[in-house]
Amino acid sequence: MTSEKHPLLEKFTEQIQHCTRCGFCQAHCPVFGATGRPALNARGKMLLLKEVLAGKIDLNQELVDSLFQCTTCASCATNCPSGVDVPAIIKAARKEMVGLGTCHPAFTGMNQVLDDYDNIYAEDEPEDFDRERGGKAEVVYFIGCVGQYREEDATEAALDLLDHLEVDYTLIDEVCCSGVLEDVGFSIKPALAEKNIERILATGAKTLVTGCPYCYRTFNGKEIYAPLREAGLEILHFSQFLARQDLGVSTDLKVTYHDPCDLGRHCGIYEEPRKTIKALAPNFVEMPSNHANALCCGAGGGVRGAYAKNSLAMARKRLAEVEEVGAEILLTECNSCVHNLANAKLRAQKFQVMTTAQFIMELLED
Amino acid sequence: MDQRDKDAIREIVGQEHFSDELIDLVSYSYDSSDHDHRPDCAAYPADSEQISRIMQLANERGFAVVPRGAGTSLAGSAVPINGGVVLDMVRMNRILDIRIPDRQVVVQPGVVYADLQKALAPLGFCFPPDPASGKVCTLGGNVATNAGGIRGAKYGVTRDYVLALEVVLPDGRIMHTGTKCMKSASGLDLTRMFVGSEGVLGVITEITLKINPMPTASRTALASFETLRQAGQAVTDIMHSGILPSVLEIMEENTIRVLRENYGADLPDVAALLLVETDGYTDAEAEYGMQKVVAAFDANQAKTVSQAKDRAEAEKLWAIRRAAGSVAGGLRPNNLSEDVTVPISKVPDLLEGIQKLMEGHKYPFVIFGHAGDGNLHPKIMFDGSDPEQVKEVHQIAEQMFKLTCGLGGTLTGEHGIGLAKAPYMRLEHEEMAMEMMRLLKRTLDPNNVLNPGKMALDD
Repeated sequence: MTSEKHPLLEKFTEQIQHCTRCGFCQAHCPVFGATGRPALNARGKMLLLKEVLAGKIDLNQELVDSLFQCTTCASCATNCPSGVDVPAIIKAARKEMVGLGTCHPAFTGMNQVLDDYDNIYAEDEPEDFDRERGGKAEVVYFIGCVGQYREEDATEAALDLLDHLEVDYTLIDEVCCSGVLEDVGFSIKPALAEKNIERILATGAKTLVTGCPYCYRTFNGKEIYAPLREAGLEILHFSQFLARQDLGVSTDLKVTYHDPCDLGRHCGIYEEPRKTIKALAPNFVEMPSNHANALCCGAGGGVRGAYAKNSLAMARKRLAEVEEVGAEILLTECNSCVHNLANAKLRAQKFQVMTTAQFIMELLED
Repeated sequence: MDQRDKDAIREIVGQEHFSDELIDLVSYSYDSSDHDHRPDCAAYPADSEQISRIMQLANERGFAVVPRGAGTSLAGSAVPINGGVVLDMVRMNRILDIRIPDRQVVVQPGVVYADLQKALAPLGFCFPPDPASGKVCTLGGNVATNAGGIRGAKYGVTRDYVLALEVVLPDGRIMHTGTKCMKSASGLDLTRMFVGSEGVLGVITEITLKINPMPTASRTALASFETLRQAGQAVTDIMHSGILPSVLEIMEENTIRVLRENYGADLPDVAALLLVETDGYTDAEAEYGMQKVVAAFDANQAKTVSQAKDRAEAEKLWAIRRAAGSVAGGLRPNNLSEDVTVPISKVPDLLEGIQKLMEGHKYPFVIFGHAGDGNLHPKIMFDGSDPEQVKEVHQIAEQMFKLTCGLGGTLTGEHGIGLAKAPYMRLEHEEMAMEMMRLLKRTLDPNNVLNPGKMALDD
C-alpha cells in the first residue's frame, strides 16, 4: 500500500491499518463528546486516512476540519484496544498536508507569526513582572507564551511564590518554545530555539523550571533542545518543583484538580500536583474523570485558536464534573487549561478556577 | 438522490443538522465491519416527526434511509449500501423516564448504554444485557440488533427486556407497540418483530425497557483443563448443578497461547480455560453458586483453579479475558470476527470443529466466548490487502457456518446478519422462513427505502 505519494503518512500505514473501526474511542474523544460528529472522532480521522492511503480520496482542503480539529489529548490512544497512536498519526498527516500546501488558516497564521514575532500572540510588549531578566541564578523560570501574555495573574502568583520560598531564580528574555508548531504541521523555529537555549544556558542555572507543561515537553523531548539536556540541566515543570517544597498553609475548602493533558497523559505527571494540593487541602476530591482518564479542557492542539466554539463546549463538559463533585476550587497546572476553563465557566457556576500557585498565594495572604 | 432531495431533507432538519461534507460522508460509510459504502448525505433528526417526514420523502423520491446509532455494528447493518441519507440518531439522546415502582425506564434511541447504567446505578438498578461495546453503543442499536453480552448466560438478551416501542414505519406513519405493563398477552407481538430487525422494518424512536435490581455480590474463578472434553463436561455439570452462573466464558488453546506470548499472561499450557462468575443479592447466594461451580471443576480434573479473593483479584482474571480479542487482533492488519452459536452441549464440538478447519491454514486464530449460552467468538487474523487471503478466509468462514448449522446452531448469536452474513442465510433458514421475512419486509416497506440490501431480504 506504499505508493510513496505521502511518505510521512505512509510511515504509519501499519498503525492506521490496525484501527479495527471498533469505535470505542467515541467514549473518550472530547471533540466527539462535544459535537456528536463521528467525522471528528479518532475513528473518523483514521477512516479518512485509510481512504487516503487506498487512493480513494485526496489529502486536501476538504479534510482540514477533521484532521486539524484534534486537541491531541491522547485519550483515544490511551484507551484504544488496538494500540493505535492516533495523535502521532494526526501530526504526521498534518505535516504531509502542509507540505502539499493545505492547512487550517489559524495554523498557517501561527507559523507566520512565529517568523515575524517571538511569541504566538504577535504581541510586542511582554509584561515584565518587575523582575530581573537574564541574570545569574540556580534556577531559571521559563514562563511560556500563555503565562506571559494571557494569564499574567497566574504568572505573577508563581513568581511571588518563588520569592516567598526564597528560590534563587531568574527570568530570561524568553521567546516562544515553538513546540506547538510540530503538532500542527510545521516545525520548531530554529532561530527561536537558539535564542532560548543561549539565554537559558547564559544564566548558569542548574535547574530549568517551566510554568507551562507544553514548554516542559518541548524542552525535555525535542531534538532541537538537546543542548539543554546535554548541558546537564534538570528540566522540571513547576508542579514537580512545588512538590519538593514545604508550603505550610492549609484550608478546609473543597478542592479538585484537573489533569492537563500535557502534564498527565503525555508525561505521566499525576501525583506531584496532587501531593502539593492534598497537603494544602485535606478536603480534596477527585472528579469522576481523573488521571489518565481526565477530560481534556479543549484548548490543546491549536483547537482553541482554530475552533473556539467547540473548544469552549469541551471546557464546559469538564466544568460540569467540577459541579458534580461540589468542589469550591478547581486547580490545574497549565495556563492554557486555566484560560479555557475560566472562559467557559458560566456565571452561575460559583467555583473558582486557578493555578495551584495562585491558590497558595491566596492562602498565604490570608 | 439529487440536490432537490438533499435540499428537502435540509429543510426538514435544519441547516446545522444536515451534512454532505466529505468528512462526514466518509465516516458514515463505515461501521465496525469490513463493509463500506458512501451515503449521499447525513441528517441529525430531533424527533419522530422529522423522521416521519424524511421517510415520506424517501418513498416519494426513491432514496434510501439508513438509521445509525454509534455505528458499531460488526455485521454492516449500519452501512448505507445503496447510498441515500444516514439518520444519525445522536440528538435523540434523552432518558425520558425512570419508573422504579414499575421497574421500567423509557429512553430515546441515542442514549449511550453506559450513560443509562450510570443513571440507574445510584438507584440500585441496571439494564442487565451487557454488550462489550457498552461504552459507546446506543440503546437504539441494542434493540435493533438484539444485543447480547457476557452476562447473557444468566440474564438473557435485549429482547427479553423490551416492553414497548415507538417506531417510525418505512412509510412515515408513527406506531406504538407493546405495553407499559410487565406483561401482556394482548394481540400479535409487534414489539418482538422490531427487536433485532436491524433497522429494516422501522426506525426506533422510543424504547421502554424492563430493568433489574443490581446484584450486589459476586464471586469469580478461573479454571484450566488439559482437554477440551473436560472443560465441556464441566460446563455441562454446571448446567446440571441447579444454579445459573452470571458469566461462563471459555478460551481455547490458541487463545491461551496468544495471551501467554503477546500479553504476558501467566497461564498454564492447556487446552481450555473457563472463567466463571456467580452473582446474587447476598454474599451467601454468590458463594453458594461458586461452590457448585468449583465442584464441577474438580469433578472434571481441572488442572488449576484460581478463585478471586476480592474485587481487585477478580479484575485481574477479567483483564485476561478482555485482552483476548484485542491482543489477537493486533497480530495481523485485519481479522474475521464471528459469533457462531450452538446449543450449550455442542460447544466442545464447535470448538474442535473450528480448530480442525484451521489445520493446514497459516492464519493465527483464537476462539473464546460465552460457553454459558453457546455463543463462541472465533477470530481469524489475516492481511486484507492480499486478495488471496481475503478469499481464503471467507471460504473458511463459509465452512464454519456450515459446521455451525450442522450442529443445530445459528449464524449469529448477537452481532446480527447485516451484510456480512447475508450470503449464508439459507444455510440456517428454510425457504419458507426466508419468504416470510421478505413478505414482512415488502408489506411494511414496499418501496424498499429503509436500510435496503440487508439480511438477504432483497433477493
